[in-house]
Amino acid sequence: MIHLPTRTTAFLFSALIAAAALHPTPATAHGVVGERFFPATIATDDPFAADELALPTITSFDHETDLDVDYSKTILPGFAIEVGIGHVDAKADGDPRQRGFGNLAVSPSLEVYRDPAHEFILTAGLGWEIGGTGSRRVAERSSTTTPTVKFGKGFGDLPDSVGFLRPLAVTGTAGYAIPGGGDEPRSIEWGGAIEYSLLYLQNNVRDEGFGDFVMHLTPVVEFSLSSPVGARGGGTTGTINPGLVWSGQDVQVAAEAVVPMNRNSGHGIGVMGQLHFYIDDLFPHSLGRPIFGGKR
Amino acid sequence: MNTRILLVGLAVACSAPAAFAHAFLQHADPGAGATLNAPPRRVALIFTEKLEPVFSGVAVIDASGHSVEAGTVVIGGNSIIAPLLPLGPGKYRVVWHAVSVDTHRTEGGYSFTVRR
Repeated sequence: MIHLPTRTTAFLFSALIAAAALHPTPATAHGVVGERFFPATIATDDPFAADELALPTITSFDHETDLDVDYSKTILPGFAIEVGIGHVDAKADGDPRQRGFGNLAVSPSLEVYRDPAHEFILTAGLGWEIGGTGSRRVAERSSTTTPTVKFGKGFGDLPDSVGFLRPLAVTGTAGYAIPGGGDEPRSIEWGGAIEYSLLYLQNNVRDEGFGDFVMHLTPVVEFSLSSPVGARGGGTTGTINPGLVWSGQDVQVAAEAVVPMNRNSGHGIGVMGQLHFYIDDLFPHSLGRPIFGGKR
Repeated sequence: MNTRILLVGLAVACSAPAAFAHAFLQHADPGAGATLNAPPRRVALIFTEKLEPVFSGVAVIDASGHSVEAGTVVIGGNSIIAPLLPLGPGKYRVVWHAVSVDTHRTEGGYSFTVRR
């Protein structure tokens, strides 16, 4: 049985749509705030409401391989709805192999504040994992609603005396997961990324003579954590993911290691990779612009 | 299986049709952070995409905020070229904005120094 949205989920969903309609945002390039370009992060949500497709994201870690697809579509400038689904293939020691599709996830995001001069963006989002849409073997039967706040901040406004720090940027996300089922504890889902843009270094700080390929690289360290709320949940678990992102004109390729932050977070070191398409660049006059309010 | 899917994805990416992507700065002369023994006669900016001339531009200013461009800035194809007045020693800032044919705007800025 597919679970219908709870009253809380429906209210939050409606509130985001109403706010988007009342708070129009000018059309901007994906991942750009002022002089800063933020590449799409792969382990955590970045703060941009954009037209993009992650196909696929592959994660192999702790006896499990996940293959995910996520498509984000702008409805209004600054307001997008992302739909994601993944396939899980897990084989823990001593347990039978479990394979199947996870639940469908629908996640609207609204950019609520942009400050181009300080390369800052703040976004409100809602994650809704729809219980019952995935395979019984690997997916929860109950839905989970996660109101989320996301931000991005580039440090291009630092003084020239510390110019080598100006290519730095951070993104962050914090959400409060509210499971619909009885036994699941609520939790804070949080994380972020620290990025050092070679493109920003080359074009805005100091021309180091990088070639075309190198200047589009961004070394990144992501962290993705979950902290259960209350006594039943146990401690914080999560992973730290160092890696590289290469951002081209209309496609991005990323690869990161997956390192558990403690014993409860998994064993061994995994890998994750993603191929990511900038739909607003590939199809700027059709699929890549907002359904309402975009420039033709 | 996952490797095969990744390879197919990469092939799709590499065969993606030419698109009207955002205009990012590809090359600048003088470059960001350059220290020059002789003053440049112009600033030349090369972008990754063709520009909309009406909505693109550049300003070059000295340390006191005065514009030091001489004559008309030429915007054509994927470049912006700004002729400069004779520059004295000091630090100068280049501030550009570019709108590519997909109508998305990008912007940037950097400094260069003319040595005494």
